[in-house]
Amino acid sequence: MVLEKLKNIIAEQLDVEKEDIKLESSFQNDLGADSLDVVELIMAIEEDFEIEIPDEDAEKISIVKDAVDYINNNK
Amino acid sequence: MFDTRITKLLNIKYPIIQGGMAWVATAELASAVSEAGGLGVIGCGAAPADIIKKEIQKAKEMTDKPFGVNVMLMSPFVDDIMEMLYEEKVSVVTTGAGNPGKYIEKLKNIGTKVIPVVPSVALAKRMEKVGADALIVEGTEAGGHIGELTTFTIVPQVVDEVDIPVIAAGGIADGRGYVAAVSLGAEGVQIGTRFVCSEECIAHIEYKNKIVNARDRDAIVTGRITGHPVRIIKNKFSKKLINLEKDISNKGEIDRLTIGSYKKAAIDGEIDQGSVMAGQSSGLIKDIKNCKNIIDDIIKESNKVQSYLCNI
Repeated sequence: MVLEKLKNIIAEQLDVEKEDIKLESSFQNDLGADSLDVVELIMAIEEDFEIEIPDEDAEKISIVKDAVDYINNNK
Repeated sequence: MFDTRITKLLNIKYPIIQGGMAWVATAELASAVSEAGGLGVIGCGAAPADIIKKEIQKAKEMTDKPFGVNVMLMSPFVDDIMEMLYEEKVSVVTTGAGNPGKYIEKLKNIGTKVIPVVPSVALAKRMEKVGADALIVEGTEAGGHIGELTTFTIVPQVVDEVDIPVIAAGGIADGRGYVAAVSLGAEGVQIGTRFVCSEECIAHIEYKNKIVNARDRDAIVTGRITGHPVRIIKNKFSKKLINLEKDISNKGEIDRLTIGSYKKAAIDGEIDQGSVMAGQSSGLIKDIKNCKNIIDDIIKESNKVQSYLCNI
């Protein structure tokens, strides 16, 4: 469920196809995001999942799986 | 027009912040700008903490007025520098090249004001949320490492989205630029290139002359291909670089050419083979004068522009 919802957010934020988003996909290396795109993505995740991701944690989220784990552990 | 939330926050006379450029924003420049009523800023660049500590101590001897330190967050010494700043307790820390979120609370606890440089609305909002005191919003007109958006478009968009005061940067070098920034909703300006061309700045005289002699189209952008765009003044170095950038397989050679190239120009004065980082405002800068005259002239011209605006 989390992954499905997350994929929708990522697809919209980064203008990528949903089927190209894998658990191992790196936002910056595989999905073409720059560091500012990642900030926007993190903020969209915060809003849609109603969680807070402090900068220390946000720094460690670099692949899709990192985000899924973070959301599961913090919602 | 000069009495804004920024002057109150920083306890300065004019809301004119000097850009914290690596290598050339030393104690000499920072103290001169602060003495003239603005906010001088020491630039860390990629220098180690002990070097910056010495600059801070030197500046404290040269002025009793508030001054700041700019921390480049991609510096390999960033954690050491922050530790040192927790001890030195400077008035203001500005940050560039990243997200300073994790340092903000500690800096604020010791009374240091934190003002991140941001190139986008999202980062601006995030910085406000984690407690930034103000924001420097920098447009692509600036020199050195730059973002995509122009000052004219990004400043009002950030002003609309945050409640903390905004300082406009990128392309501002005179009173017209100051008034324009205020019109966009900014409550202060950050100025880099104009202050490089000051008597007090330790940059090599050939570097300053290169900026003074630059024409409107001379401040170009390199490095888009490597993802780190940098604005520099056109010269033999930039031509070589642009040729190499046509083919991404030259990345190794590009790295070799660019490493140390800024110091070569700014400090050693090798303006043909070094990287002459400077903003688009270079074309507006016609002379080298002292910091007091730079600031006084900006104030005078701003007042003139304001009265003109009141009469049209």
